[in-house]
Amino acid sequence: MIELRKICKDYLVGNDNIRILHDISLVIKEKEYVGLMGASGSGKSTLMHIMGFLDNPTCGTILLDGKDVSKLSDGKLSKIRNECVGFVFQQFNLINNLTVFENIVLPSIYSREKTAIDYKEKAKELLTRFGIYNKKDYRPNKLSGGQQQRVAIARALIMSPKIIFADEPTGNLDSKNGEEIIELLEELNRDFGVTVVMVTHEEDIARRAKRQLFIKDGFLVKK
Amino acid sequence: MGDFRRNKARTSLTSLGILIGVLSVVLMMGFGFGLKNYINQQFDTLGKNLVMILPGSGFGATGGAGLIGGIQFDEKDVSKISRVKNVKQIAPVFMKTIKAEANGKTERGNLLGTTDTTFEIINSKLQAGNFFTNVDVQKKKKVVVVGAQIAEKLFGTANNAIYKTVRIQNQRFMIIGVLEKIGSIGADDDLNILAPYTSLLSLNPNKTFFAIYLKSSSDETVSQVKMDVKTVLLKRYKADDFSVTEQAELLETINSIIGILNIALIAIGSISLIVGGIGIMNIMYATVTERTKEVGIRRAIGATKKDILYQFLTGAVMVSVLGGLVAVVIAAIIVYLIQPFFPASINAFSIIVAFGISSAVGIFFGVFPAKKAADLSPVEAMRYE
Repeated sequence: MIELRKICKDYLVGNDNIRILHDISLVIKEKEYVGLMGASGSGKSTLMHIMGFLDNPTCGTILLDGKDVSKLSDGKLSKIRNECVGFVFQQFNLINNLTVFENIVLPSIYSREKTAIDYKEKAKELLTRFGIYNKKDYRPNKLSGGQQQRVAIARALIMSPKIIFADEPTGNLDSKNGEEIIELLEELNRDFGVTVVMVTHEEDIARRAKRQLFIKDGFLVKK
Repeated sequence: MGDFRRNKARTSLTSLGILIGVLSVVLMMGFGFGLKNYINQQFDTLGKNLVMILPGSGFGATGGAGLIGGIQFDEKDVSKISRVKNVKQIAPVFMKTIKAEANGKTERGNLLGTTDTTFEIINSKLQAGNFFTNVDVQKKKKVVVVGAQIAEKLFGTANNAIYKTVRIQNQRFMIIGVLEKIGSIGADDDLNILAPYTSLLSLNPNKTFFAIYLKSSSDETVSQVKMDVKTVLLKRYKADDFSVTEQAELLETINSIIGILNIALIAIGSISLIVGGIGIMNIMYATVTERTKEVGIRRAIGATKKDILYQFLTGAVMVSVLGGLVAVVIAAIIVYLIQPFFPASINAFSIIVAFGISSAVGIFFGVFPAKKAADLSPVEAMRYE
């Protein structure tokens, strides 16, 4: 479904060009549950941002369902972000000026598809399923970490994406909440066929995925 | 759009910046134009064929300073000038500041010794009683026509003053007429007391005059009359001793002074506009830059660059336009309230200029940082602290 060919990524730090990712090639197939593991600073988040179309590679190509996305226009790329991909971040990245409910339906506002889907209804379903319906009119910063992450996951799911990327989703949570979130992601993959790619630095969490990828100093390695 | 509603404090500050800028420009220009209109109107009332003969260089480059300590005109001058072709009416004026007493009260007034023709020449209007006539002048009658404030201060109402006696410099005069209130700004026309000059001989034994007013037969003959009057007077006086001014010239001089005043006012207003604009710029730029992270999040979930620009554009327009509109309304209210004290008026051009500039500044600085944020990759934007 997503294929990376010889991807590299450089960052400008001061006057120097630092290469964060080197020559990465990989394939993520549908319905996979992949754990991407690496130490802090290994480049795992950078790799995932590129896979999730949030950042552009310096070299190499990305194929989505066989099509090269590197040359796409802003409009088409935004469409992919909107419809195909859902992202869950370590710091939640919710918009505090909007209510929980508004955060969850926000992706649908940017959708250009004319569908009959009632996104408001869907948002209510997701809120109920995640046990936070009673928080729907609150501002996100009034919720606990675990609740905020659930809002983030609901937002990531509202457009029924094919693939969910989760960047250290339990990083800001205690173990109980973290465990609930991991179980939620597993359920999405197992029961609903959603492809899940999760970045983590914790081995036991990565082990729960069906496939593991290891990254070290910007290279994909075999552990 | 809701974003701006939620940041109420910031939005209000931005609107305030626009408000101040627009308000100051509109008010400043309003005052300037209002003043110009007022003065022009006053002159229109008096008529274009009015000519004033004054001592000194008059309202020339010295701007009125030449009036003091110049020559005095006399009856001979008046009679010669009245014989000039196309002089329709003539009125000499003697002036002295005096105290008018009546009913145990005292009021300062401008005593004007003149002829009955004065009332027609300066288009006086009565609210009670009558003007004095040529007969009164001939008979040296001790009668006066007073300004509204004299009547009010000494007798309460205009009607009460009629036929009452007023003491001026130890002489008694009977009030036979009260003029309508003029209410001119900064002048004291309502304190005038007009008497036949012939009845003021104890004050003015040589029958000299501070000024001579005349009306030409028509607007077209004014210039010629001016020249002819000058010729007559030059036989007796030096060119520097007197000035013969037609309304138009005076008006021109005053208008050019007002013109400079207007420029000054506009400059002041512009400075406020600039300061207001800088305020808007700062607030908008800071507010929107702060939302770079939010822009990144929206982009990450599918917003296009156009979506972002549209979102911030509508917000900035709303805030700027709203602020501008409120400013115009407040300016209108202020101008309305000031009307009785000062002739200010709102001028469409000033509104357009101030509104346009404020809105442009608000919109540009509300959108420019948003565009910068939208041009980043979502991840870069989200990293922004």
